[in-house]
Amino acid sequence: MRTKVEFIRAETINQALQLLADNNKNTRILAGGTDIITGMRMKSKRFANIDLLLDINSINDLKGIRLLEDSVTIGSNVTFSEILENKIIQDKLPLLIQSASGIGNLQIRNRATVVGNFVNNAPCADSVPALLVYNAKLRIESLKGAREIALQDFLVKAYKTQIAPDELVTDIQIPLANDFCGTFYKLGRRQSVAISRISLAVLAKLSNHKIDEIRIASGAVTPIGKRFDDLEEFAIGKNAGKELFIELAQKMAQQILDVTGLRWSGFHKIPVLQQALYQLLLTTIEL
Amino acid sequence: MNNFNIVGKNVIRQDGLEKVTGEAKFADDYSFPNQLYSMMVRLSVAHANIKSIDYSSIENDPEIIIIDSRDIPGANYIGAIRQDQPIFADQKIRTYGDVVCMLVGSDPEKLELAGKQVKINFETLPTLTDPLKSLKKDAPLIHEQYKDNLIVHYPLRKGDIEKGFSECDHILEQTYTTPFIEHGYIEPEAVIALLREGNKGVHIIGSIQNPHTTQKVVATVLGWPLAKVRIQQAELGGSFGGKDDTMNILSARAAVAALKTKRPVKIRYSREESILESYKRHPYTMHYKVGYNNDGKLIAMKIDILADGGAYASMSPFVTWRTVVQATGPYEIENVWTDVRAVYTNNPYTGAMRGFGSPQPIFAQESIMDEIAIRLDISPDTVRRINGFKTGSVTASGQKLHDHDVNLITVMDRAIQESGFQEKWKLFKSQKPEFGIAPDRDDLILKKDEFIDPDKTVYKGIGLAVSFRGSSLGAEGIDTAAAYLSVQADGSAYLLCGLAENGQGLRTTFSIIAAEVLGISVDDIFYLDHDTSVIPDSGPTVASRSTVMGGGAVKNAAEKVRTALQKFLTEKWELSENDELLFAGNKVSCKRKNKQIGFSELCGLARNKGVNLAALGWYAGPQVDWEEETGQGDAYFTYVYGCQVAEVSVNISTGQVAIDRIVAVHDPGTVINKVGAEGQVFGGVTQGAGYGLWEEISTHQGMPRELNFDEYLVPTSKDIGKIVPIFVQGKEKYGPWGAKSLGEPTLELTAAALANAIRNAIGKRFYNLPLNLEEIILQRKLRKEDLQRGSM
Amino acid sequence: MKNIEFTLNGFPMLVYVDPSLRLLDVLRNTLGLTGTKEGCDIGECGACTVLLNGKAVNSCLVLIGQVENQNVLTVEGLSSHGSLHPLQQKFLEYGAVQCGFCTPGMLLSAYALLQENPHPSEDEIKDAIAGNLCRCTGYKPIIDAITAYSR
Ligand code: FES
Ligand code: FES
Repeated sequence: MRTKVEFIRAETINQALQLLADNNKNTRILAGGTDIITGMRMKSKRFANIDLLLDINSINDLKGIRLLEDSVTIGSNVTFSEILENKIIQDKLPLLIQSASGIGNLQIRNRATVVGNFVNNAPCADSVPALLVYNAKLRIESLKGAREIALQDFLVKAYKTQIAPDELVTDIQIPLANDFCGTFYKLGRRQSVAISRISLAVLAKLSNHKIDEIRIASGAVTPIGKRFDDLEEFAIGKNAGKELFIELAQKMAQQILDVTGLRWSGFHKIPVLQQALYQLLLTTIEL
Repeated sequence: MNNFNIVGKNVIRQDGLEKVTGEAKFADDYSFPNQLYSMMVRLSVAHANIKSIDYSSIENDPEIIIIDSRDIPGANYIGAIRQDQPIFADQKIRTYGDVVCMLVGSDPEKLELAGKQVKINFETLPTLTDPLKSLKKDAPLIHEQYKDNLIVHYPLRKGDIEKGFSECDHILEQTYTTPFIEHGYIEPEAVIALLREGNKGVHIIGSIQNPHTTQKVVATVLGWPLAKVRIQQAELGGSFGGKDDTMNILSARAAVAALKTKRPVKIRYSREESILESYKRHPYTMHYKVGYNNDGKLIAMKIDILADGGAYASMSPFVTWRTVVQATGPYEIENVWTDVRAVYTNNPYTGAMRGFGSPQPIFAQESIMDEIAIRLDISPDTVRRINGFKTGSVTASGQKLHDHDVNLITVMDRAIQESGFQEKWKLFKSQKPEFGIAPDRDDLILKKDEFIDPDKTVYKGIGLAVSFRGSSLGAEGIDTAAAYLSVQADGSAYLLCGLAENGQGLRTTFSIIAAEVLGISVDDIFYLDHDTSVIPDSGPTVASRSTVMGGGAVKNAAEKVRTALQKFLTEKWELSENDELLFAGNKVSCKRKNKQIGFSELCGLARNKGVNLAALGWYAGPQVDWEEETGQGDAYFTYVYGCQVAEVSVNISTGQVAIDRIVAVHDPGTVINKVGAEGQVFGGVTQGAGYGLWEEISTHQGMPRELNFDEYLVPTSKDIGKIVPIFVQGKEKYGPWGAKSLGEPTLELTAAALANAIRNAIGKRFYNLPLNLEEIILQRKLRKEDLQRGSM
Repeated sequence: MKNIEFTLNGFPMLVYVDPSLRLLDVLRNTLGLTGTKEGCDIGECGACTVLLNGKAVNSCLVLIGQVENQNVLTVEGLSSHGSLHPLQQKFLEYGAVQCGFCTPGMLLSAYALLQENPHPSEDEIKDAIAGNLCRCTGYKPIIDAITAYSR
């Protein structure tokens, strides 16, 4: 396979933004490249007609994981392996660790970046549910300036996001959720290297056995990773317990059926999803 | 027991060094100056008549050479049994993998663009994807030259089946199915054809499983004498039965192109192309009706098996023949009535794959044996003990098992003992998990009482499966093999056997055998590259026959050289006829005369006296026979026995099955190469586990869906728990020191053992492989086209 | 086309190629280093595994332009001065090699693991090679070989 596209490696954010601003060219940002390079080889429509691959791997300003007062910032160059090895993330963002460890295989994790995982917005992007429950925000830059956007709003529909052609996601900011407990769950066909069938993330804060706040997100069962705002509101103030968890699981399934209809895989996924959420809640929230 | 010096010990692979350094040359690693590349042109349709092919937009391009059936000097249709498969499908498309023509040129990218410009005018025909429908009277014919779509039908009749059913206490009827399976060798197909100087013909280097078969096919296609076709096997990156027909065809295409262009031509397949065009393991639909008595004794068994042969006959007649011989399993049953049929469809064609018609019936028959045990409330090993083959037992084909150790019960007992089967099975059987939702239930929202608590979601189970397997080809093939051994004047030696290395390590096994006979070190044996121009045809590397047949030939060659050396020494040392010479430790000695000489020195002396130290060894399989109409006869000259016990954990909320441990006890006769033998068990069990739980090529209108390893799921390092290999080395009079077969038995049992273990864990019987997430939860498969089902 | 400098198996290397070529193709076709294998092209089989700055990566998913000024190790660089790396020796002793097609990638994944973690547990070994498919060995002999080396 040969790819007849131009390749440029940007050394600074500014250089990258300059190149992106040239709208005569269909430019794609290349970070880990694990999606784009295969996509181009498979002649997938999403990667057709690329003129320029803009490699951002050597932009130092996009590297690094920083702990700020009440959030953690992850540069858009950071790979899943770097996430997994990072002490700050291990301490502060356990769900991100759990979701990162299940991604692809080591070779993929050594290249693929967290940002790349959702910029492509594939339904099965494993880190998305975890980032969603952490209320992750993105910083996006272009020559015109910078903006911030919540991940939830950034994801539009499958393989489509709010990013403009001249923009670059520079980092993710994740507010700390120290007083929350939570877990990430993934079901694959195989023990490893499997595309997820179902993924779920839950974060919850309790007082007196009542739900103060709960955040629930799914991946792979919906066209894009998704938060369940109605469920979250419904749960507030309710007693944490089997009763509630069953109700939440049933409601989630109903919502998915309402929104996306029954898909071919639904006969398995919908019941299993309910079991998984129920069990996840039971194991996450100590009764 | 023999006292061996090397046999049965741990020996490092003959070809290991070049493989760990990256120097080993696989087919795609060869390149030649001026080499051209190629690209296949296909139609995206399963069944169609081709009306015309329009090359006008590329035919004047000097950089693109079109190769199609018009360039074939010899036969365009080939096949081992039926010559029904085209090298280039110029009249009719019968399956998605069919290749209409091939474009050759120096720029692969240009070829790809040009391929899109070949315009093929065609008319689609009704697509047959269901073997049952193929058999219908009015079904369209896939091959017009045959009167129907039946490829082969093997009946087997023993005893009086109706009487059997009327006299037994119980009858159990069940139907089982298995899917298409991809071999999944990690190296995709590649081949290069080079024209040789003058009139010497063509030289082909490729990822070829059976060089002599390829030689025959290429010669037929070119219309040349065999000797003008020289096939060299490149290092083979796995085959498992899969690099036979496909590689013969690719080799022929490359040869035709080399002939036309007078330049080296390389064909290399991407994974997608490999899975699309290469043949698969047969899907089977198996209907079993079993009559048995209260005491567990089997009285009658009626078996009806339908195999999907896909678009071409390929090896279907041989694959299904093994099925008919072994379909009852290793049980003595007085009344048997078996019909095995293979039929054409427009699905991918099916052929040889490790196991070769045995994993399918074993899944069915061993599931049923457990069901009988459960119904009679006896343990699974008991029902097998009652009915299993012992010395003197008579098989379904009427063959009396004697003159080798009939070790079925022995291997089962070892496996039971090693795994603690009986206690665990009883314990796990008493668990009563409640779960499941009806496969076609409209309301997918779970009821309150259907939710499962985390501590009640995983259940353990244990299951066993046993088998007997005919060693080597049996009554359907000529079973001979040759080996060439040339001992040099310094005692080092060249060795080559006509059976080709497939990665399993036969070079090492053969070197051990030669070294053992000559009493020298394996390091002194230099195994030659496989090349049809230097070694006689020894039949294919199939049917786990390499060790027994090739090993026999190697031993014969080595013994010839040893006899020559013995004769020389007898004269030199003035020994008597009865004096024994010991060949060991790179020395030859005579105890009585208290004489000793280094092997190397001896060879030098003998050589100087004009003794021939080279030999061609030969081994012919013993006589077997078969009666086609009744399926009676001595099908194979000997059999091997195996038992595997699987332990699993089943998650009833998700359908996940984790494999905790598999104990694999096999009697392969004498173990020649211990590391190699254990490697066969680890590898075979792992493939068998994939067959049981994950692997499947599903098709839509004949088109395979899983075209790469992202969707076709072979087991990874994380998927298999512990595998415990155990060998029981039974006595056998054939083969080198009684060594028989192992490669296939290791694979054929695992899926059945897993199915029985899952049954033990959760109390449900599963009838359709693979036992994946959906099967466990819903007891059916889900496909993309199922969209229309259900309420919304 | 562009000049690209990088370190290959410990030596400086300069290639003049299209920077959007895959590292795998440059290794195999431009440089003739055919020890690195191609099995799927989509990052699922690991046959093409090489080390990039000490980390295992699929060379079918890396472009040569991305390798500029970086450090690449292929199987050809594992043994030095004609003597096997002890890990290669263990692969031979434990029967970790059958057809050998997965072996180069497998060795590099194992090597990368052992550089970072000299005494890995069985689970750590399994995780490190989970991206390297082997259809022949059932992984057990490979895991044993890596374990033996780490002792
Ligand atoms: S060829 Fe790169 S991972 Fe398979
Ligand atoms: S040794 Fe053949 S794929 Fe691993």
